[in-house]
Amino acid sequence: MLEVKIITPDTTLFEGNADAITLPGAKGSFQVLKGHAPVVSNLTKGEVKLEQNGKTETFSIDSGIVEVLNNKVIVLV
Amino acid sequence: MANLKEVRGRIASTISTQQITKAMKLVSATKLRKAQTGIVQMRPYEKALSNILVNLSDSIDDERLSAFFNHKDSGKTLLVVITSDRGLCGAFNANVIKKVKTLIAGTYNELYNNKQLEILPIGKKGYDTLKKDGNLIFNTKHINLFQDLNSINANAVANIILENYLKNEYSSVEVVYNQFKNAATQVLVHDRFLPVKVTVSTETTLNNDYIFEPGKFEILQELIPRTLKTKFYRYLLDSFASEHGARMIAMDKATENAGELLKSFRLQYNQARQAAITREISEIVGGAAALEG
Repeated sequence: MLEVKIITPDTTLFEGNADAITLPGAKGSFQVLKGHAPVVSNLTKGEVKLEQNGKTETFSIDSGIVEVLNNKVIVLV
Repeated sequence: MANLKEVRGRIASTISTQQITKAMKLVSATKLRKAQTGIVQMRPYEKALSNILVNLSDSIDDERLSAFFNHKDSGKTLLVVITSDRGLCGAFNANVIKKVKTLIAGTYNELYNNKQLEILPIGKKGYDTLKKDGNLIFNTKHINLFQDLNSINANAVANIILENYLKNEYSSVEVVYNQFKNAATQVLVHDRFLPVKVTVSTETTLNNDYIFEPGKFEILQELIPRTLKTKFYRYLLDSFASEHGARMIAMDKATENAGELLKSFRLQYNQARQAAITREISEIVGGAAALEG
């Protein structure tokens, strides 16, 4: 299980758990699952996909930065 | 002694003024709460950004990033003046403008005389007042941000500043604004926005196990402008919250003053009324006495 936070300067878009998260990385889209190595990456225009119990939630972003550490994912949009 | 009708008119107009100031106070209180929520909402974002930045601090002296940190010898100075769009908020705007004028007369006098001082006014009040001075260079018309203050609009302005700064148009960018302490207190701050003051981080909890995608430099290239934009947005939020705090206090005082004025008018009114009654009675008594006599 991943703890995911998607924050903008104005508001918190999402805060909660997810099984997997797909992110539009600078070098191409990548997916983060439980136990992913610590990563800091630039994000480009695209969609952030959250998967939780078979359900998918998507957020469109223009740019951003993601930090993954100890099953915590913080997406700054 | 003031006549009855006159005093009655004054009472009526004071009451309606008091109603207006009371309503404005309530409106400001609501807006202040909204502005404060904005500041609170931004905190986790700021914190997450600075967390990432700490982990990258060892690559911050990369030469390709030096534009953000090094002081340049040539170029104009940009002074961002943040005021409000509306008045009736006590000394809020006057303080900012006074500070700008002191700076022009003092620290920036040479720059000003050489026309190397450019002003970017945010907020209508500052724009209107400073424009009257004539000699100031404005690089834009008044920027309308406070009607709908959000990070997207603020970032657009910050982007223009950053672009021009990186094009070497400016040697430094400074900001004069009201920092929000609490509803009753604003602190006037004159801050350097660019070049960035490097604070040597003594943080020893560096977690260097991170994989950096695509690389530290690329991330910093994205992260530094982002941090600056956040900082800029913070200035605006602070000023916005301060404005409503200041207006709330000003309107509270005005309501209070109207109440006191009303009290003295009512006293005057009653005195005039009693005097009139006494006069009438004595006239009647006098008239009756004259008839009897």
